[in-house]
This record gives sequence, C-alpha cells and structure tokens, in this order.
Amino acid sequence: MIDKPEKWARVRMRLAAALFGLFCLLVLGRSFYLQVLQKDRLVKIAEKQHQRVVPLTPSRGAIYDRTGAPLAVSIEMDSCYAETRNLENLPDAAAKLAPLLGTTKDQLEAKLKASKNFVWLARRMPPEAAQKIRDLDLDGVGFVKESKRFYPNSEVAAHVLGFTGMDPGGLEGVEKKYDSTILGNTGFLVTERDALGRDVDQKKGTEGKSGTKGNNLYLTLDKNVQYIAEKELAKAVETNQARAGIAVVMEPDTGRILAMANYPTFNPNSYFKYQGGALRNRAISDSFEPGSTFKIFLVASALENRVIGPRDYFNCENGSYNVGGRTIHDTHRYASLNVPQILKYSSNIGAAKIGSRLGPERLYQALTGFGFGDRTDVDLPGETGGYLRQQSKWYGVDLATISFGQGVSATAIQIATAVSAVANGGNLMRPYLVEKVVDDTGQVVKEIAPQVKRRVISPETARTVARMLEGVVDEGGTGTNAAVEGYRVAGKTGTAQKVDAATHGYSASKRTASFVGFVPLEKPRLTILVVVDEPKTSPYGGVVAAPAFSAIAQQALCYLKVPPEKGIRKKVQQGPREEAPPPQPVMEEGGSVDGVETGTMPNFRGMSMRQVLRVMEKSGLNVKLQGSGRAVEQHPPPGSRISTQDQVWVRFVPSA
Amino acid sequence: MFDRRLFTNFDWTLLALVLVICSIGVVNIYSAASSYREIGTPFFIKQLYWITAGIVLCLTVCSLDYHMLEDFAYWLYGGILFLLLAVLVVGKTSMGATRWIHLGFFTMQPSEPMKIVIIVTFARFFSRYPVFQGLTLKDLAYPLMLLGAPALLIMKQPDLGTAILVVLIAGTMLLYVGVRWTSLATLFAAAIPLVYGGWRFVLHDYQKDRIYNFLNPDLDPQGSGYHIIQSKIAVGSGATFGKGFLHGTQSQLRFLPEQHTDFAFSVFAEEWGFIGCLVMVVLYLFLILWGLGIASRCNDRFGSLLAVGVSAMLFWHIVINMGMVIGLFPVVGVPLPFFSYGGTSMVTSMVGVGILMNISMRRFMF
Repeated sequence: MIDKPEKWARVRMRLAAALFGLFCLLVLGRSFYLQVLQKDRLVKIAEKQHQRVVPLTPSRGAIYDRTGAPLAVSIEMDSCYAETRNLENLPDAAAKLAPLLGTTKDQLEAKLKASKNFVWLARRMPPEAAQKIRDLDLDGVGFVKESKRFYPNSEVAAHVLGFTGMDPGGLEGVEKKYDSTILGNTGFLVTERDALGRDVDQKKGTEGKSGTKGNNLYLTLDKNVQYIAEKELAKAVETNQARAGIAVVMEPDTGRILAMANYPTFNPNSYFKYQGGALRNRAISDSFEPGSTFKIFLVASALENRVIGPRDYFNCENGSYNVGGRTIHDTHRYASLNVPQILKYSSNIGAAKIGSRLGPERLYQALTGFGFGDRTDVDLPGETGGYLRQQSKWYGVDLATISFGQGVSATAIQIATAVSAVANGGNLMRPYLVEKVVDDTGQVVKEIAPQVKRRVISPETARTVARMLEGVVDEGGTGTNAAVEGYRVAGKTGTAQKVDAATHGYSASKRTASFVGFVPLEKPRLTILVVVDEPKTSPYGGVVAAPAFSAIAQQALCYLKVPPEKGIRKKVQQGPREEAPPPQPVMEEGGSVDGVETGTMPNFRGMSMRQVLRVMEKSGLNVKLQGSGRAVEQHPPPGSRISTQDQVWVRFVPSA
Repeated sequence: MFDRRLFTNFDWTLLALVLVICSIGVVNIYSAASSYREIGTPFFIKQLYWITAGIVLCLTVCSLDYHMLEDFAYWLYGGILFLLLAVLVVGKTSMGATRWIHLGFFTMQPSEPMKIVIIVTFARFFSRYPVFQGLTLKDLAYPLMLLGAPALLIMKQPDLGTAILVVLIAGTMLLYVGVRWTSLATLFAAAIPLVYGGWRFVLHDYQKDRIYNFLNPDLDPQGSGYHIIQSKIAVGSGATFGKGFLHGTQSQLRFLPEQHTDFAFSVFAEEWGFIGCLVMVVLYLFLILWGLGIASRCNDRFGSLLAVGVSAMLFWHIVINMGMVIGLFPVVGVPLPFFSYGGTSMVTSMVGVGILMNISMRRFMF
C-alpha cells in the first residue's frame, strides 16, 4: 500500500521527464522548421529589413561625333554624405562644413539633425571643394564617386545632344532618345540600418555596388561641320536681326545628318539658365510654311508624271492671276516663262499653273511621297510632322497656293530630307543621327545603316530638276548669293509669309526666309538648308539665307576635301535681283583662303577647341582635332609650311 | 554540521552544468547588448556580478540543511504574501504595473521569491499530508487556497507571466503528489467559466492582445505582433549554422525587442543557428533530468517534493521562454533561466539550484 503511491510517484516523475523531453523535441522541430526549412524566406525578410539602399547616379556613356571627338562625356565627381550617428560633434562639424557647402551653420545643423542617419551634403561637387572637406577629416563624413555629364564643346551641337537633369536621365535630344542605351546601371550604396531606420556605421558594411557604364554613341554629326553651320547661322541671324534660325547639313545619299544648328542656342552644361525657346530644337519641332522651296517638289512630280516637259512655257499673266476668287501675284512681272525659269525667278503664277495641270490627287500623292505631313523618324525626340491637309479637303485656291508652298507647313528636317531625295537621284532616306552604339569595352553593339524609305522620283527626273535648280543660283536667279566658288550648286530660295497668331491671317511684315540646296551638282555630297525666321533687313531667302548656305557649303566642302568640279564658271559677281550680295570669301584651289598667310601653320598651343576652330575657319585649314580641353601638341610645328597633302592635327588634353 | 560527506557528495555536475549555461549566457549578452549605446557598466559585466552573487547565494542555501525550510515554510509564505499585499498598497509603479516594493535600502519584487516559496510551502504541506489513491477535491481545497491567494495578488499587479508560472509550478507539484481523475475532471470543468470570466474581467487589453497576436501575429506586424514576427525572422535567418558571433543582423541592428533579456535566446539562435539551438536544448534537457533525478533519488518526501518543485520551476521557465522565442507560445515576459540578463531571475534560479544541490548532497544523511 505504501509502495504503490511511491511507485506511481516515480511513474509520474518519468512522465514529467518524458513530457519535457517531448517539449525539447518540439522546440528543436520548430527551430528546424524555421532555421532550415523556412530559412530562405526569413533570410530574405531579414535582409529587406536591415539593408538600406541609396542609389547613386549611374554613369552615362559618352557621345562622340563621327570622327570620335567627344561631344558629351561623363566625369567622375565626388559626392559627399554624412552619417550623422558617426559625427562626434554635430554642431562643431556643421560649423566646419557650412562655409564649404555654401550654407549657414544653423541650416546645416538642422538638416543633419533631421536625418535619421544618412544625408547627402553635396552631390557631384568640384574636386577642390571635395578636397577641402576631406582635409577636415571628420568622422561620419564620407565620399562616393558619382558621374556628372559634361559637354566639352559647350554650345556646339547643343540641340542635338540635349542635356541631362540632376537625376541622370536625358531630358532632351539624343540624350533623351537614347537614354536607355547610354544610361548605365544604377550603382548603389548599401548600408545596414537598424530597427529605427538609422544607418549603422560603415565599418559594419556600407558597401558600394558601382553601376555599370552605359554604351557610347557615335553620331553622324561632324563637330567641325556643326561648328561651321552654327557660326554661319548665327552670323546670318544676327546680321539680319532675325528672331531665330535653323541650319541643317545632310549627306543626301545616306540621310546622315552632319550638322543641325539652331539659333538661339544654349550651353547644355548650364541648360537651366536658358528660356525654353533657346532649348528647343527648331529643326525638328517647329514647322513653318516652306514657301517657294516647295516648287522643287511640284516641278519634280509634274515632270515625273509627265504632265509637263522641261521646255514647256507657261503664261505668267504679267504678274497677276485670278484663281478660285483670289489673286496671285509675282514679285516681278513675266509674260511667259518656261519651267526652269519658273524655278529660277520663283514665279508663283507659273507654279500655280503647273499645279493645276498636275491636279490635286497627284500633287498630294507626290508631297506625301516626299514625306510631307508625316514625321521623318529622325532619331530625336519631339519631332513634329508638319501640316499637309488631306487632299479631299482642298478647296478653291488650295491647289494653287500649295503648289508654291503656302497653306502647308513643314519642318526643316522634312525639307532637307525631301531635297536630298532630289539630290541623290530619287530616294527618300530616313534622316539619322546615331551612327553606331559601342559598349564600354569598345565592342560595336549596333550599327545603323542608311535606310531608303521609298523611291519618290526617277533618277532622270531628279537629274532634270537638279539642273533646273542650278539656274536659281546662276546669274539672274533668286539665289545667286548661294553660289560656291569652285562648285556647281543647285538650290531654291524660299520666302514665306508668316501666319499672324493674332489675326489668323498672313502677317504683312513677318517672313520666313530660307534657302535649300545641294552641292556639288553632279555628285552631291551635302544638302544644306538654312532658315531665317523673321529677318528685319530683307524678307528674301536669296538675300538672308543664301549667303549662309554659301558660306557653310564652302567651308564644309573644303573641310571634307571634296574636290572642286572642273570646268566651272566663274562665280557670279552680280547680285540677286533684290539686292547686292554681301562680300564673299573667294576660294582658291588648294584649300586655303585669301586674306590669311597661306600655308603656314599657326601656333595652336594653349588654345581652347573653340579658339582653334575659329582660327581654322579663318585660315581654311582642315585640322583634325583629337581629344578635348586645351591644345598641347600639333603637327606640323608652328610656322612651318603646309602642303595640301599634309595631315594637320592638334591634340587636346583636358585642363586640370 | 559541516560533514565531510557534504563535500564529497557535492553535486559538481549540477554546478558545472549551470555554470556552462551561465557562461554561454554571458557571451550571448555581450553580443546582444553590443549594439546598445551603453552608459556605465556593460550588461555582460553586470550579469557576471549577478552570477557571482547567485553562486554565493546558491552555496549559502546549500550550506544550510534544507530540512530547516520545513520549519520555516509557513513563515516564509506568510511573509511574502504580506509583501505582495503591501505591493498593492505602497508598491512602485512602472510601465503600468505595480510589482516592486521599496524596503528601505533596496527594492524587491515579491512575486519572484513567491515562486520558490510556493514550492517550499507545497512541499511542507504534502510531506505531512497522507495521500491515498490521489487527491480528492476536498484534499485540494486547502492547497488551492494556499496557491490562489498569491496567484491572484500577482495577477492583480498585473504580472501574468509570474502568476502563470506560480500556478504551473504548484500545479505540477499537485500532479506529482497525485490527483484523482475525477477531481481533475471536475476542476477542468470548473475552469472553463473561470477562464471565460478571467478573459472578460481580469485580463488587461495588452494581455489579450498578446494572445490575439500569438494566434495571428500578422494582424499588427508593427504593433503588438512585432515581437513574435521579429523573433521568428531572427531565429529563421540564422539558418543551420548561424550568422556567427556578433554578426546577427536582426539583433545587432536592434530589430529584436528585449534582446538581452526575454529574447536573448533569439539572438543566440540567430548567431549560432540550429546547431546552437540543439546544444542549448540538450543542456537544458540535461539540467531538468538532473533535477528530476535528484528528486527521485531523495529519500524523504519533503526533499523530493522540493526537488520536483524546483525542477518544475526551471522546466516551465524554459518551456515558456523558448516556446515564445520560436513562436510556439504567446509572448509572456518570462526569462530563460541562467541565460537571460537579469538579477532577479538569476537569484531565483540560483536559489532553486542551491536547493537542488542541498537535497542532492544530503541524500545519504539519514
């Protein structure tokens, strides 16, 4: 009896032991479940909790022109941050840092105190400033490399390149269009943080994961041609007190854009200081009434459709002609003109008559064929397609006015592309700016080939029209100022009335003056369009835009070493019908220009690229530019004579 | 009184076991508190002081024959009960609970010694109480009153963790003594309305929240469910071999609450992984089995009841703390004996171990 409860007590004790053993198994089972089976999930949650990721500005690839000259580069700069928990004496640190950061001690102190731990003090700061902060040797202040966009040539090609914002994305131009190509992967600063969101000190693992570099772009643009175009455009706009201007230089056979200049321009290194008007790439985003340059396409399609012959005469009604209840006027009175003369003298009445012979359907078809009313798909953001009304909605006088470029609108790039089709024998090309994409190891990722969109006219028609357009520049034509010494030029002036925004009618005084053409005539290498908006000196394209065309063509042909054509006539000295031409530089064979000591190499050392370009342009030298920054080396040495065969180059090194 | 046999029979194994657990605990507290911005003595140093004090206390308890406790049992019980009452009247309130009483030169928490005192009291009661075929309801009436008074007082403070522990320790002793199935069933039936009433009228909202959150911690992951979720993340992300000493991210970055006290085991599990957990569980299992072994080897009823009670005390602390840390049980503020930082727990546990050693070394003394 006594033993029995005793025995039971022992059993119960064993039971208790077993129970605890069981519990221990349960604990182990549970920890096995958590630590082995559920591990992956819980580890991930833990990481998410304790890691804070601070994104760093990724490095963008560089943009080069077609010769490899840098147009946009990314440079590594120091960004400075503070980890407030590691600052030993916060007010003291704030007092030391504030003057270097250009702020007040109180503001900085408040900023530091407000942050849980990590705070950027200055991003992408100049090296000297960074060094000053480094010299303070403060605990809790660190640096990390971030990249900043830099445009070594300042304004050159600003509108094509665009710019980037404070965050690394491209905001305009090629920078925007090719953003995903250029932009590298974002780097990260990984810091650990505790439960209150404060970062823990760096010793425990602020680790930078640097981003990868983006791809580099090679443009079709030529920095020198671009510079020439910009300079001549600026000159044309400024001397004529105009509002704005556009110049486009294109390779007609391929659609490669060699230059795309805008006025007013801006410096993409400090784009934020400019008004919207200066930032806009008018060559693609502004459409305007083309005026007489449109007659090129009218005549081309009329010839192509065989409704006219090259020698057909049209009655030009002595300068006044009634169509659809409206009267069309010519500047000068003509009784009768043949087709080349209609182009040469730019007769609106003649154009209207060709238009009526062609008929609205075929004219509309031809114009859409040349790409009007539709975007050219140039690789830039923000392109507009101009305005070409549906043919079914042409009424009354529309056929006549559209024939000479009124009541339609087009962009500069559209006109340049369409004229290139005439120049290259009838192929409408897709204009483009990016030649190839190269990754940071130099491997070509993508190469863009010229792309024929469609054939718009036959080679014969193209040749006939080109010959006719030569007459425009010839003696007595509207575009004599466009003549280039040593080359045969085909082109057409354009003078369009601007629509007044207030009255919705044509403005009495505002004009868009333009000149478009290609050169040399037989094997065109360049299509050049110059548009001057609201010139005050003279409304005529032949007076305002043609000289710029001539200057650009002359310098670009020289730079590109295009051999002058044989058997060319002497340059016309008589001015266009409206006005005497401004004095023009006279070209001699051999590639140098009068007025400069020919054939001696100037001393370029110490000059900036801009200064070198200026000298180049003055002396007509074709200099190969390497690198960026200040000139340090040149060939041949200063003062030595240069023969045309000589390779002339100047090497630049970024100034410290 | 200081027999040589006392020395030869001294339970070195138990002492060694406790010291091993304490050492691991100190190392772990060093890691758990290394992320704190500490002012004054670091926690692991303070813990070393407490261990030293605990061992001195433990040896003191050893040196006095435990049979003396039999005589003092009711006096102790009465004294502590008085203090518990006093706490309600003149206690020090902190963080919404009144648990501390100021005794001139030091403050104490009378609910803590109650854990030991209830063991002594029950051992004293049942050592003289003849039991045949288990306790009847009538037999239970007096011990339940002995238990109920302090349990309710502690609950009122409120200190749910300690109250539960006191009840569990006493309950385990009752089961060891033997309760009739019929009485057990009746008690259980009576407990249902009691539990319901307790839920409705006694439990505080934060206590209810803990139970809700245990059932579904995702209800409020940033609020009251935070502890369980964070502890599970810390333990789980430790994986098989752990993140290494001082390298636990969740603990070093202070995601864990109370990580040097109640959640010390989370830190350990994170840094040492499943292998570490295995070692600790085996150590504790060994400790409990050793305690129960002392109980079964003891020749007098009072001694073996005492040993069972002390084992049960350690047992339930371990179960509740570990269960909480790995998300098996709701969050109840119960420390892990010898492992969590804290003087109170260390003293209580060391006194318990002292009693065990006392019994162990005197088992041949009759």
